[in-house]
Amino acid sequence: MIILEERRCDPSGLAAELERLDGRLMMLFARPSSQGTRELCAIVRTGDAVLRVRAPLGGNSYPAVTPRLPAAHWFEREIQDLWRIVPQGHPRLEPLVLHGPEEGEVRLPEEEDATPEHRGAERLSGPGVFVIPYGPVRSGVFEAAQFLVQTGGEDVAYCAQRLFFKRRGAERRICEVPRELAVLVAERVSGTSSVAHALAFSHAMESLAQTEVPPRARAIRRVLAELERLYNHLEATVRECEDASLSVAQAQFAALKERLHRLAGAVVGNRYLRGAVVPGGTRIDLDATATELIGSTLREWERDWRRVLGVLLRTDSFLDRLVSTGPLSEQDARDFACVGPVARGSGVELDTRRDLPYDGYEAFDVARQSDGDAMARMEVRFQEVDSSLTAIREALGAFAPGPARAELGPFAHDTALGAAESARGETLYWLEAGEPDALRFCKLRAASFVNFGIFNRVFDSQVLTDFAFIEHSLGLSAAGCDA
Amino acid sequence: MIRWFLRGVRGARVTTRYPRAEEPPPPGFRARALLDPHAVGEQDAERYAAVCLPGALRLNEVGLLRLDAGRCIGCGLCAEAARGGGLTMDPGYELAATSRQRLVVGGSGREAGLSPSQRSLTGPFRRSLHIRHVDTGSDGAAEQEIAALLNPYYDMQRLGLFFTASPRHADVLLVTGPVTRPMEEPLRRTYEATPEPRVVVAAGTDACSGSVWTAPEVLGGVDRVLPVDVYIPGDPPTPIALLHGLLLAGGRVREASPPRLESEAAA
Repeated sequence: MIILEERRCDPSGLAAELERLDGRLMMLFARPSSQGTRELCAIVRTGDAVLRVRAPLGGNSYPAVTPRLPAAHWFEREIQDLWRIVPQGHPRLEPLVLHGPEEGEVRLPEEEDATPEHRGAERLSGPGVFVIPYGPVRSGVFEAAQFLVQTGGEDVAYCAQRLFFKRRGAERRICEVPRELAVLVAERVSGTSSVAHALAFSHAMESLAQTEVPPRARAIRRVLAELERLYNHLEATVRECEDASLSVAQAQFAALKERLHRLAGAVVGNRYLRGAVVPGGTRIDLDATATELIGSTLREWERDWRRVLGVLLRTDSFLDRLVSTGPLSEQDARDFACVGPVARGSGVELDTRRDLPYDGYEAFDVARQSDGDAMARMEVRFQEVDSSLTAIREALGAFAPGPARAELGPFAHDTALGAAESARGETLYWLEAGEPDALRFCKLRAASFVNFGIFNRVFDSQVLTDFAFIEHSLGLSAAGCDA
Repeated sequence: MIRWFLRGVRGARVTTRYPRAEEPPPPGFRARALLDPHAVGEQDAERYAAVCLPGALRLNEVGLLRLDAGRCIGCGLCAEAARGGGLTMDPGYELAATSRQRLVVGGSGREAGLSPSQRSLTGPFRRSLHIRHVDTGSDGAAEQEIAALLNPYYDMQRLGLFFTASPRHADVLLVTGPVTRPMEEPLRRTYEATPEPRVVVAAGTDACSGSVWTAPEVLGGVDRVLPVDVYIPGDPPTPIALLHGLLLAGGRVREASPPRLESEAAA
């Protein structure tokens, strides 16, 4: 359970207050407060504390936070889109979440009435500079997202990312549906991080209802969460091998990934581990046969993984493409409050499992690299595969007898924050209880929402042919970002 | 490179022989629900419908429970509530059909406004298919399952199935996701760029019906925008289910039977 220290301030002083706190901005959103008014709510991590800064709004605008705290940039554009609250002085107040009246229409900047996104301050002009609009229907099998790459031919002068093609209204749906079914929506926000989203949502629900999760369920949750991390890190590896045209490596890692999905399908009944985690514990129990299957499968799996990884790390044509590609400085990673392997690859030591421990995670050494390039992000993942395997072994040995699920009690608190570390980083759910046993308000923030925000910054002095390497080293989920 | 060559030739063959041989999933797999409408009483029917988030289980006009596999996310909550009484989970792997109506048990589906079959699919695509994938708002797992078709376990190219980068070279549009508003126009334009004859395949429960998502952000199923030829339910659709659906698009396999539970009483 995450205890939040509460602060209040005037919206005009929000930027100064957040700057003074000098923490990591986890979330910034608007919410309806009592008597039909609205307030801004910032959640900040400072040292060992999590703070909630509330700023009740009188009017429809406030001085923007972004000029002092770059991490707020997408949050504030989202607030303007969804709440019609104007963050005055924001350096780039264009629609982010909404696609305007010409929804889905792709237009080039040269066109008279270009979509607002193309009017970005960073847009270059000059002879020979042109824009490659890439997406939302992209070559290959990818999620819908659009990248506007400005280039003179080879160097990427500027790359603008355009997301939220996939916004399905998850926050609205979570509040609409009966509370015992809402976790099914959370599982489908980012389908490859189903466990992490279900966990973060469940942690918030359990805090609201003051429900204690039985020890057995905590161990099962750790097994599932780490299994999910494994196949996501494998996905990033498969994609990088594909980009490097290493077809044998691609096939070998893809086969390793497939074995994990088959294991998931055998023990949970779904290849993406859905329908397992629920508020109060887990819906499935892992019996001796299942734990034995997990243990023996992963033993063999680990042996094969080490062999293939060993060859990959001695393959020059792979290393050449990743080393020094797509660098993200530690300063940028901190300024923009990046999370997950993206932050850890740039030397920022943070991991929800250690920083806001849940479900019985013990303290552990957070994987970290300092180079900030694509290779550093991949090395963080390789290290985490090891620590995930260790965590699964440890959890399998910690199966306590007893039930795997506790009945979720009536809501005892009004608000709660739930967190979990997905393979992509910190995943957050802010929930507010309303009418008896119903949710009144939900704000979720997937790891990819913050990590997508720095997409344009890692292309500094990069070349077009490195695009795929950079994208896949960030390991983003458009579905999670868009929600 | 020699190391990769040696690694590549070492090791046993893992590729499935599907569709020539069966490829059953593990016994506890939750692909979709199966229903015997006549084995469920009215009170139970209401109870089961209440735990079905996407509305796959609903009471039809004569008070019988109707199951729409095109909306089923395989969560298994209904089967948990029923404990075998007329409702159970199907681990099945061949799930695709050429009409929404064929995915329905306990009513014709016509009253739900579901589209009948568009046309016969055999003919032009029996030997090889080029596939263009379009994401219209999926949760991101369907893309990985589609990409998995290239891994050594499924190796879809052995069946003459290929991905193509441009819709202009495609025979099949493989659409994932419930169609969000911003993706409606790109989807239409991709369809228009695809030469005829063309086949539209809705891959996954969200593409078949919208799944748990609703208006205003989501239109609700690819067939709200385009005529759909093959529906592949699944949340997400498994690689084998995708292979079955794609082979069905080429008229090379038979479509799945409706999600009917054959009770002992009926037998």
